[in-house]
Amino acid sequence: MDFSGFSEEIYLSFAISILLLLLVLESPWSNSASWLPLDFCLPTLPERRPALMGDSEVEPGSGQHQKLCFLGGCSGESLSESEASQSGSSGDESNSYRALPTQRTMMAWTTVMVKKIKVMALNNEGVEESDSSEDEVAPRNTIGDVPLEWYKDETHIGYDLAGKKIKKKERQDKLDSFLASADDSKNWLKVYDEYNDEEVEVTRQELKLVRRLLKGKAPHADFDPYASYVDWFKWDDAKHPLSNAPEPKRRFIPSKWESKKVVKLVRAIRLGLIKFDKPKEEQRFYPLWGDDSSSAEKANHLAYIPAPKPKLPGHEESYNPSLEYIPTQEEINSYQLMYDEDRPKFIPKRYTSLRSIPAYDNGVKDVFERCLDLYLCPRVRKKRINIDPESLKPKLPSRKDLKPYPVTCYLEYKGHKDAVMSISVEASGQWIASGSLDGTVRIWEVETGRCLRVWDIGEAVKSVAWNPLNELPVLAVSAGRDVLLLNTGFGDDEEQKKIRELLRVETPQAPDDSDNKGPVVSWLQDDKHDGIRLRHFKTVSSVEWHRKGDYFSTVMPADILLPLSKKHTQRIPFKLHGLPVSAVFHPTRSIFFVSTKKNVRVYDLWQQKFIKKLETGLREVSCIAVHPGGDNVIVGSREGKLCWFDMDLSSQPYRILKCHPKDLTNVAFHRSYPLFASCSEDCTAYVFHGTVYSDLNQNPLIVPLEILRGHTSSNGRGESFSTPSSYSLCWHLISFFCYGVMDCKFHPRQPWLFTAGADSVIKLYCH
Amino acid sequence: MDIDQEAEENSRRVQVRFFTKLKPPLKVPATSIAIPSNLTRLGLSTVVNNLLEAGNPDWELEPFDFLIDGELVRMSLEKFLLAKGISAEKILEIEYIKAVAPRKEEEPSFHDDWVSAVDASSTRFIVTGCYDGLARLWNASGICTHILEGHSDGVASVGVINPEGAGAITVATASKDRTLRLWKVNIEEPIDNLIKTRAFKILRGHRGSVQSVAAQSSGEMVCSGSWDCTINLWRTNDGNDGDLTSVKKRKVNDQAEESQLEGEAVSTIVGHTQCVSSVVWPQRETIYSASWDHSVRRWDVETGKDLSAIFSGKVLSCIDVGGESSALIAAGGSDPILRIWDPRKPGTSAPVFQFSSHTSWVSACKWHKKSWFHLLSASYDGKVMLWDLRTAWPLAVIESHKDKVLCADWWKGDSVISGGADSKLCISSGIPVL
Repeated sequence: MDFSGFSEEIYLSFAISILLLLLVLESPWSNSASWLPLDFCLPTLPERRPALMGDSEVEPGSGQHQKLCFLGGCSGESLSESEASQSGSSGDESNSYRALPTQRTMMAWTTVMVKKIKVMALNNEGVEESDSSEDEVAPRNTIGDVPLEWYKDETHIGYDLAGKKIKKKERQDKLDSFLASADDSKNWLKVYDEYNDEEVEVTRQELKLVRRLLKGKAPHADFDPYASYVDWFKWDDAKHPLSNAPEPKRRFIPSKWESKKVVKLVRAIRLGLIKFDKPKEEQRFYPLWGDDSSSAEKANHLAYIPAPKPKLPGHEESYNPSLEYIPTQEEINSYQLMYDEDRPKFIPKRYTSLRSIPAYDNGVKDVFERCLDLYLCPRVRKKRINIDPESLKPKLPSRKDLKPYPVTCYLEYKGHKDAVMSISVEASGQWIASGSLDGTVRIWEVETGRCLRVWDIGEAVKSVAWNPLNELPVLAVSAGRDVLLLNTGFGDDEEQKKIRELLRVETPQAPDDSDNKGPVVSWLQDDKHDGIRLRHFKTVSSVEWHRKGDYFSTVMPADILLPLSKKHTQRIPFKLHGLPVSAVFHPTRSIFFVSTKKNVRVYDLWQQKFIKKLETGLREVSCIAVHPGGDNVIVGSREGKLCWFDMDLSSQPYRILKCHPKDLTNVAFHRSYPLFASCSEDCTAYVFHGTVYSDLNQNPLIVPLEILRGHTSSNGRGESFSTPSSYSLCWHLISFFCYGVMDCKFHPRQPWLFTAGADSVIKLYCH
Repeated sequence: MDIDQEAEENSRRVQVRFFTKLKPPLKVPATSIAIPSNLTRLGLSTVVNNLLEAGNPDWELEPFDFLIDGELVRMSLEKFLLAKGISAEKILEIEYIKAVAPRKEEEPSFHDDWVSAVDASSTRFIVTGCYDGLARLWNASGICTHILEGHSDGVASVGVINPEGAGAITVATASKDRTLRLWKVNIEEPIDNLIKTRAFKILRGHRGSVQSVAAQSSGEMVCSGSWDCTINLWRTNDGNDGDLTSVKKRKVNDQAEESQLEGEAVSTIVGHTQCVSSVVWPQRETIYSASWDHSVRRWDVETGKDLSAIFSGKVLSCIDVGGESSALIAAGGSDPILRIWDPRKPGTSAPVFQFSSHTSWVSACKWHKKSWFHLLSASYDGKVMLWDLRTAWPLAVIESHKDKVLCADWWKGDSVISGGADSKLCISSGIPVL
């Protein structure tokens, strides 16, 4: 138990209260407290004194009251103290209360005690219990607790109950008194009561009582403080568990700890340690013209929307507006031609004084209309979200962390005379091939930019594609209705032998099968270029190789064909809804992507069935590329949009990037780096970072990295058509639709991007 | 007023003492003089020339370069001292050397096609490789003496195997037709007209274009880097031991029969993942190679293991080893920066020097054979630059080419030879490196 909080005072008061309570409870006269020194137990009852002094008899209730007070005072010492400190006016009393009883009061107390004990002994003998205060022998003197020196010079010592003066006794001679005391053997039992001016003799019984009290025992010898406890409660057969225990005392007395706490708080408040909220200050000034809706009082109401304020009058409503506000007569006339809604309601005019303004005719009408507006038009509070637009942007990694990616152009491949339509990089990255509208196919050395070979096809080359096999350096070129397989001449003798064998058609078929039942493609030997010429019945727009290098696909605006390099041709056995635009092979599986103008269709070539349709939502698809992982496809469109499809996710685009202001001409994925690019007719190519995670829960990360500029819009290209020829005109028509960058391809091993421009230059952008 | 001005001028003067390691006619008296601090290299050069002229009346003007604390002065003296935190109170010791810049531009030698390779390790002649598949020998006076014909595609690299050998010398060429050829040329005999020579040995084995060839210093072997990501080692001897596979006889002009040997690779060093664009063989046991896989590797010839690798982050197309105790690696590639690594520096693979005055790919870099500080670089921007490790600016920019410069080399220690896409072989001579 922690008694540290107990002060010494509390201990003291406890001890006294226990002692006195014992007395009070035990003795039959205990209910009267008048025998107690007033300044000891009732410090704050000065008004009792006149009653005691003046009245001849003590009121029966007064003793009771005093007892209660006493009880309270004893157990709740701190309360009285708190009262004292709170009131402040009775501080002196509290001081006197605190002080120990003076010598005189001690004396008086002793005598009173002796008297009491006497009475007690008397009562003990006679009547057992008596509550009445009449039985008590009142003190003879009624002056109360006043200093006796006031009566020093008087002949009397005070007044008795009847109000008569009590005469002082004759002073005994000192010698006589000494002799008397010496003679009298009972002198030590006598006590002089100064107050009542008499001698009191203590009987033996009283002496016993006093001795017991001094020893700290119960005053009565027959009182057993250690009486065995009688359990008065019947525990066994109680029907209800309700305790019938007497209410404990603590229920009736104010809590000491509470009052201590209160005192603590009061002190803290006085010292200013606890601060209360300041009373709300009434705003002295408030915005008279401010927006009512923002004020806090209005916001308390449920959905109160203040009426919109009518427009305040401006300069033109002035009685004498500046001249620029005054409409001319023509303007006023023109108002008549306007619709009613548009016509200005008020035509400013000048007046010499405010007085001369005529009455406004429409005043009542205006107010009425406004009332109508307010009443008929529901007012809606628009939720304006105050969000920093920057915070809505997705957190993208820094471009520095995504290096390497193509940034600057160091090398240009110059030599074509017209727009380069298509480029293709050899699998090792040593050479690139390019096809141009000038009818030539060129092969360039990547490292130096040297043109190694030129074939003059004689027709605008739409598309070139290098066989993905290292040992089969064969180039597929589409020009007009033909697809040519060209021997590039690279590789050693053995490889060359193989290629030559492959590129030989035994029985050149004449394209005389004009009916639809015949083959749509005829395989011809092309002697001029030492290759194979595949004559289609319509113009071929693009050529694409299978990864194994033994199949390739050609796309005609009407149909798609799958020629085999074993000189077989197969039309894809699926029904396309719409014209095919381009087609690509899946990089690892036997899946084939065909994009029509609106959608991309995915086919399984092995099982010959339709897998799914990717809905682009674009107006016109122009190009398609497949991620080397095979699960992601990008599709470019003529409106400059780029769609990224995650095929595991859905058939809807995962992201749509609107970067280019003009048509997209091509898109490309890098084979090993997480890069993809798009090129457009606006002479730029965009490079993006596109990481595809192997974790299926993580969506691809797409970060735009770089805009590659450098190609010029080919204005001066017409010069290349200085030599008129039969087909140059139609080329011109084709090239008329060629702007900007026509094709982009990544280097297979380096983070480099090749771009083919309509300005007849191929550029290499390096990291 | 005058006093004030003079005082001001004095405050801007620094006490310098010129000294040099050059030979006596170029030495100036070792007294300290006060010179204005705003002098640049040109001003300092004028001062030194004036000093020399004072001692030697018939002195011809000579440009000098100046070193303070081992660094070339490339700004005004005042700025240099400020930048380097050198006190101007003391007497400044300035070393002067002859300015490294070409004094003379020789007449260019014209080729039929792009000049792709040049080797000028011999003082007597130059070998060039050309895109028309021919290699040519040029004598010191710039006349083509020999044509080495036989390659079916452009020559990518040439190397002289025994440059100072008496009599017949051996030349190795690497070509895009996937072969290497070895040629024997007798340069001693007087030449009256062009001699066409055929290779005495054809080295087959690469499965891609051969990009680079380098000879061992002893001349016994050559190594070659190729697009098939390997480095092959070949024997150069024409004896009949070991690697000889076949002897092809063919008639030359129906008159004489000439035998052509075919050789196979002694060993193949595998480790690069992309095209090996350049190889050098500076010591007997080590080969350095640069590759498109962004790495420079050092190989042990005996074991074929790579001893160390430096990754640059860019495609590398040329490499050379030289400089201080022939240990620094210079390499250039797909960006305009010439990087120099010190492999002796432990723990880091960051280049110790980076020279970035070019504007396009660096196509060639070569250390000067004798100097520790000087190297040249050629770039696709058509410039050949001379560098000194002691300054970040190029010493000289040779702009004789109109198109890409594809190859360059030092010749005779004082000339720079470069060939480019304008089919010219330019020689800039009179460079006083040492």
